[in-house]
Amino acid sequence: MKVKKSEFLTESKPLLRKLVQLLSENYEYVSVLGTDTKGKSYRVSNTGVEVNDYMFAERGFVVRIHNGVNYSEYSFNEIDENRLNSIVEEIKLKLNKVSKEISVNSYKVIEEEEIKKSYYGEVKINPAEISSEIILKDLTEIVEAALACSELVAQFRASYSVMHISKLFISGKKDLEQSYLLGEGSLFSLARKEEKAKYYFAPCTGLYGYELVGELKKMYKEVVDQSIKLLDSKPARPGEYDVICSPDIAGLIAHEAFGHGVEMDMFVKGRAKGAEYIGKQVASALTTMHDGAAAAQHVSSYLFDDEGTIGTDTVEIKEGILKTGISDFLSALSLGTTPTGNGRRESFERKAYARMTNTFFEAGNDKYEDMLASIKKGYLIEGTYSGMEDPKNWGIQCIALLGKEIIDGKLTGNLISPVIMTGFVPDLLKSITMVSDKVELDGCGYCGKGYKEYVKVSEGGPFMKVKVRLG
Amino acid sequence: MLNKIKQILINHKEISGYKIGETIIEANELFFIKKNVDMDRAKSVHHFKVTVYIDFEEKGTKYKGSSTTDIHPTMSDSELEKAIGEAAFAAQYVKNPYYPLVKPSSSYKQMGGSNLSKESLPYWMNEITKAIYKNDIYEKGGINSCEIFLNKIYTHAVNSEGIDIDSLDYECMIEFITTWKEDGEEIELYKCLNFSEYDPESLAGEVMDMITICKEKAIAKNMPALGRACVIITREAVKDLFSYYYSKSNATTVYNQGSTWKIGDKVQGEEVKGDYITMTLNPLMKNSTFSRSFDEDGFPVEPVTIIEKGVLKNYVANSRYAHYLNVEPTGSVINLEVNAGKNSIDDMKKEPHLEIAAFSDFSVDGITGDFGGEIRLGWYFDGDKTIPVTGGSITGNINEMHHDLYLSKELQKDNYFEGPKAVKLFNVTVAGIDNINE
Repeated sequence: MKVKKSEFLTESKPLLRKLVQLLSENYEYVSVLGTDTKGKSYRVSNTGVEVNDYMFAERGFVVRIHNGVNYSEYSFNEIDENRLNSIVEEIKLKLNKVSKEISVNSYKVIEEEEIKKSYYGEVKINPAEISSEIILKDLTEIVEAALACSELVAQFRASYSVMHISKLFISGKKDLEQSYLLGEGSLFSLARKEEKAKYYFAPCTGLYGYELVGELKKMYKEVVDQSIKLLDSKPARPGEYDVICSPDIAGLIAHEAFGHGVEMDMFVKGRAKGAEYIGKQVASALTTMHDGAAAAQHVSSYLFDDEGTIGTDTVEIKEGILKTGISDFLSALSLGTTPTGNGRRESFERKAYARMTNTFFEAGNDKYEDMLASIKKGYLIEGTYSGMEDPKNWGIQCIALLGKEIIDGKLTGNLISPVIMTGFVPDLLKSITMVSDKVELDGCGYCGKGYKEYVKVSEGGPFMKVKVRLG
Repeated sequence: MLNKIKQILINHKEISGYKIGETIIEANELFFIKKNVDMDRAKSVHHFKVTVYIDFEEKGTKYKGSSTTDIHPTMSDSELEKAIGEAAFAAQYVKNPYYPLVKPSSSYKQMGGSNLSKESLPYWMNEITKAIYKNDIYEKGGINSCEIFLNKIYTHAVNSEGIDIDSLDYECMIEFITTWKEDGEEIELYKCLNFSEYDPESLAGEVMDMITICKEKAIAKNMPALGRACVIITREAVKDLFSYYYSKSNATTVYNQGSTWKIGDKVQGEEVKGDYITMTLNPLMKNSTFSRSFDEDGFPVEPVTIIEKGVLKNYVANSRYAHYLNVEPTGSVINLEVNAGKNSIDDMKKEPHLEIAAFSDFSVDGITGDFGGEIRLGWYFDGDKTIPVTGGSITGNINEMHHDLYLSKELQKDNYFEGPKAVKLFNVTVAGIDNINE
């Protein structure tokens, strides 16, 4: 079924056009982004049940104007015919009030091409047709089945969220609309033996409707088993190892290594080492990496970004050579490049930055079994916990939930946990020697810029054999 | 809008109770590249968060279902009715044990107002800018980029029991990057400040501190492989370390099986060789963006000791989980005070150690106690000389180390945290860049 557009945004459109028209009397460039994102999150565990609105639900507007020198923005969430003039007055009163003692950067006025487009996603099962009663019953069944697996499970949690994202972008020449659904599910198992506690979690995300819960039902046993096995895990012995990164860890490396590293607002600030390496080798010749709303069909697939630029598929690394970065509109304007449709906001209340979308390594030609057999002593690293970028100095930190020991090409059943991988990005990427033939993406996480500005992203890749330092 | 929401809630006879959180935010934001303003933003938003409660009974046991929904000021009457109706429908299937809602109180503490209330937001944006850039005067480095967010926030808590309390607060967040270049490559470090009182000296001092440690990172050597070592953690990582104690002593974590800590437990173990931990919640802390006289339920909050000399005295508990565990509620309080230790930082540094000033991201697991992070800047003292180091990582588990942990005599204040400037740990695993498999 096609996803319905927001009635609220449709009804607001004439008002927004009028607002753009009123503001255009004073400013050379005016645009407005309207958002109406709704959704529910359901969480069932053996200790409680929660039903809340989706964490990033929002409804509001952000106006961007060229103030004569550079760009200013105003975010608000109350609008009607009678308020239009007062919104215009607020914009005049509150924006561009920086003291004359402080210098400002100047930007050209955005030149737009006329464009009118819309996009409405599709899902198999419309979650709006499934009642809270059914959803809670389905999640409760998963929790009960998981708890029945072992007495060592202290807590088991099944979560499901649905997000209905609707956006509208209006400017002098642009008229864009989009509406699509995202589904996000996860299972969490906490195992305890005496005083030792360990947990494991697994996500399931994508452009799904309620069919996603069916996938969760297939996953609970594996999540329980891993949490119990982790009780016998040992810390990693520090050192450099041959490892196989599972697709989620390959995605984490893509995200932290060259995802953040080629966000081009960092180029404008002189914060990205990548700017000096365009056209140079930064990774093994087996490595090709993409980012883009149009690069995959996953949680960051959209028609247009939060600045009204159509999403694209950017090949950042081609066979080991760094080709280009991803950019928001204003960074592209500053650098004289073409915007890539990566200008994203946490919500209408926040600034747009150059942000990742669907970030992943391309598949190679190797078979997973051959990759495993090639390792004398090492680990298969699985389960994304967290990561941190360092675009200026190319350090990388990735934390995984576990590592499975490999000796003489076979998994021994022994686990290490937690697993901290650190290193210098080009060293790590140049050490890629085998790449499997199937790409998997996951979109369970939210990506921050520093420690804020969270946006939904997907990341992934094939299995990859690399040499890394574990701590 | 508030009255309209209340009326719809009252009209729904199946609803046993409700809670409404109203927030109005006025904000100004500046985004700098070097010393130039790259963009300015302003914000004016109004939000409501409504929780509906439905009490029910099954086989003689009482339950309280709940569901929370966001209400936007542009919602039509039919949208409002639908949002609240859907929340009420969902709440009847949320089978959680019963707990009472917070009742009105006369014991809300008086909060001292912020000095930011004395002038307009644009005035303070210019003053804050001056303070931040005061020490950005060097040729080899300084502030690469900076973002300033200043919010004036009206918070209003209402519930069906008669709670109706509000406050007006100020929050400022400044994120800045400092860089420095010596003979090698230019390096950078990240810093985020949060506060509710304008203190120009403190702001200028924070920038100076980051410039100083940036200079050190610019000449830092690769981290050597130390194996197990004595590590002194400083700055934000100290706050992150104590988040473990906050998590383990939280009633929500205990109820959800993430912690087995019980009141009276010696949380650092039976035989403590180092300093005892004493940790207090202080919701009235000066210059914290989390200070308020009431929590999100409208519960009147005040200082409470959680851990005293290594013994768990109280759980951090909101009214719901306090009821479940049959303990006194503290309310949802974030502000944390940790007592100083006996030794000065200089005393701590007398024997060989690795002192860490900045991590990529210091991670502490609130359930397992595992901690770790990549080192962006540290100083390694081998007993003879001290060198700045970078790269490599530390890992460990707090449970295996806190019987022999040392807290500095000197204190630091970082928004919601006031506690030791440094914590010394032994037997921490240190992976260096030059590690070789054995």
